[in-house]
Amino acid sequence: MRTWLVSFARRGPARYLSHLDTLRAVQRTFARAGVELELSEGMRPKPRLSLPLPLPVGAAADDELAVARVTDAAPSARDGLLALTAAAPEGLEVTALRESPLRARPQPLRARYACEVRGDADAVAAAVEAFEEDEPPRVVRRGPKGTKTVDLRRSVGAVSCRATPGGAHLEFVVRYDVGTAARPQEVIEVIADKAGIEPVLHRLRRVEVAFAEAARVQHAPTQRSART
Amino acid sequence: MGGEFNLRRKPGVRPRIVLSYPDAYEVGISNPGLQILYELVNDRTPAAAERAYCPLPDMADLMRARGVRLWSLESAEPVAACDLWGFTLPHELACTNVLEMLDLAGVPLRAAQRGEGDPVVMGGGPAVADPWPLAAFFDAFFIGEVEGRMAAIVEALGAPTRAGRLAALAAVPGVWLPHAAQAGPVERQVFTDFARTPPVERPLVPLVEAVHDRVVIEVMRGCTAGCRFCQAGIWYRPVRERPVDMVVAAAERALAATGYDEVSLVSLSSCDYSGIDEAVRRIRALRPGIRVSLPSLRIDSAATSLAGFAAEQRGSVTLAPEAGTQALRERLNKRVDEAQFDDAVRAVFSGGFTGLKLYFMIGLPGESDDDVVAIAAMAATAARRAKEIARGRARLSVSVSSYVPKPHTPFELEPFAGEATLRRRQALLREAMPRHVRLSLHHLESSLVEATLARGGPGADRLVEDAWRRGARFDSWTEHFAEAAWRGAAAAAGLALGEPAGEGAPWGETGSAAPWHAAVDARVTPAFLEEERRRATEPAATADCRDGVCVSCGVCGAGVEMEVLA
Repeated sequence: MRTWLVSFARRGPARYLSHLDTLRAVQRTFARAGVELELSEGMRPKPRLSLPLPLPVGAAADDELAVARVTDAAPSARDGLLALTAAAPEGLEVTALRESPLRARPQPLRARYACEVRGDADAVAAAVEAFEEDEPPRVVRRGPKGTKTVDLRRSVGAVSCRATPGGAHLEFVVRYDVGTAARPQEVIEVIADKAGIEPVLHRLRRVEVAFAEAARVQHAPTQRSART
Repeated sequence: MGGEFNLRRKPGVRPRIVLSYPDAYEVGISNPGLQILYELVNDRTPAAAERAYCPLPDMADLMRARGVRLWSLESAEPVAACDLWGFTLPHELACTNVLEMLDLAGVPLRAAQRGEGDPVVMGGGPAVADPWPLAAFFDAFFIGEVEGRMAAIVEALGAPTRAGRLAALAAVPGVWLPHAAQAGPVERQVFTDFARTPPVERPLVPLVEAVHDRVVIEVMRGCTAGCRFCQAGIWYRPVRERPVDMVVAAAERALAATGYDEVSLVSLSSCDYSGIDEAVRRIRALRPGIRVSLPSLRIDSAATSLAGFAAEQRGSVTLAPEAGTQALRERLNKRVDEAQFDDAVRAVFSGGFTGLKLYFMIGLPGESDDDVVAIAAMAATAARRAKEIARGRARLSVSVSSYVPKPHTPFELEPFAGEATLRRRQALLREAMPRHVRLSLHHLESSLVEATLARGGPGADRLVEDAWRRGARFDSWTEHFAEAAWRGAAAAAGLALGEPAGEGAPWGETGSAAPWHAAVDARVTPAFLEEERRRATEPAATADCRDGVCVSCGVCGAGVEMEVLA
């Protein structure tokens, strides 16, 4: 059994896919590419495929990771990349594939998000400042097990803002190694509320994700650019 | 939505055809008919086929509030700018969604209001068996199976003016123009090359969860079992079977093109497909883990059919006795006796299947309350078998819908049972059904609307439009069904829901007076329908013509004939 770490981008209409829909699309991409996935054991075997950090519905992403356990019959990483690239649907762009000697599932450490918002850039800049300096921003989540208050500042940092025509470009980093992490839309909603503007979630983009050391691979990844 | 695997884009190509299924994306993307047309137009004609589905009410509200017009998923261009807008019309409860889509696209609702810049709006599919309820909203209808005429339709769209395109379309066999003078009814078209044409091999694969999410291979078209209530059994005659080699090759290519691991072998009665055992065995052998499913099983052959399924894919099975007593089933020409039913139920539970669903109808012609109570007795028998054989590990459910007489069937002029009778019989069923059997009764008010529109005549369009203007849409969705809108529209038209709509209704006792026969010739003779109706009252069984006895229904001849595997 071999482990593939597949990098991909999610853009266009595909950004409206849910986590499970994205997972199913990646799984079907493997099947269309003729790459056989290992199956779990038990009554209802499932392909050993995971997306370690779910993407919010509506968010585009530049550098996502899929972890796949493939059978020994799977092609080389280079050929696998070619096959997956050709088989992927519109909006899911396979960008790199590397084979990993590790079995542990990569744990996400932090992710950087970017968002374009419409409105007064100065008001957004002031809201960002307030987000970082005023009382810790908290959100209340309601679920079937009750309510939970999350301190956004505990997991959110490096918030920045620059003016763009008609609005502002926001960036921030969410850490996933500090307990309950903020959801990116919560961060945007808090800032938008402070700035008095509409939170435009469909322009949310996850720029990069950093994983724990265990996920790092010893050898260089196979890049799409290497074949073109 | 959109961005599916196997999506085709042909930017800038004319004619641009938009194909629509008037329901939500998750329902419409699962329609095999639309997949056939999408592949046919894009891959085998010079035209471009794009798609649009009916936005759900919350999305529609937003589109109206922001002035966004309905667009196609392939090009994101307005649907209104296409050359031909083709609707697959699956059933009567999709009528208001057609109006909703026309309105959202900014296309005038009524054909008479359309001008040079508007697309030709064409309807097809099984609901055009009686096109009157929608006739005012369509420029043209295609009656029957369009595959053999699509090239001619595309060519007709090359005419430089709208009037020219409509005139050219009128010359295509199977096209009925409701707003032009045409001599006599239009003959239903039969795709005579069905058995020599491969099924869809590169279907669209939705990225979001759909109602049916698997490879669909149509193994056979038509069914001549002769159930007297069944419109599809008339509408898709005669039986034509695809060769097993073609079916298996198509399944292999479709699996590779989609990434699916399940193949559904579909037809009106897949167990009757001559090559079913071989096809199931060979498709399962294509690669490990491939599952094969059949949409329905015939009770009289269920025990044999079920044996072909592997233990790992034994889930739930549906059997359709249709009626609770032998006498009523004989009236329907449903040749199933108590012993066959018991054998089938035993085969389900001893075969390790974990669920059994029994499907019945109430409100059938000649039905009594005793027939309805007998449904509960059959459920009790099945429940006993479940207890004896599956020892409580199997689920048993009973689904009961209300029968609506349909045009071009032997029962086309039978009265609809009506609201009061159906309500009483539903209550009878609830009372008589064993407690541990899950009973699911079809939404009664939807059946009333279905009955009103299924045999509608000229003028029924006014009821449809009035109901839509009062807020009716997604009428087949219980959560969206607007009862007040339909009752209000019916009252304004002087009708009680359930009575046929249109001028001159009801249509009396002679089939030839019914308005659908003025528009559509379904190829079965009036004499055959009358004889079948008479035989129902005896009741006398009518053989399946696959068994070698021609029942003289009138469909075959002039190049149309049954094609079954040797």
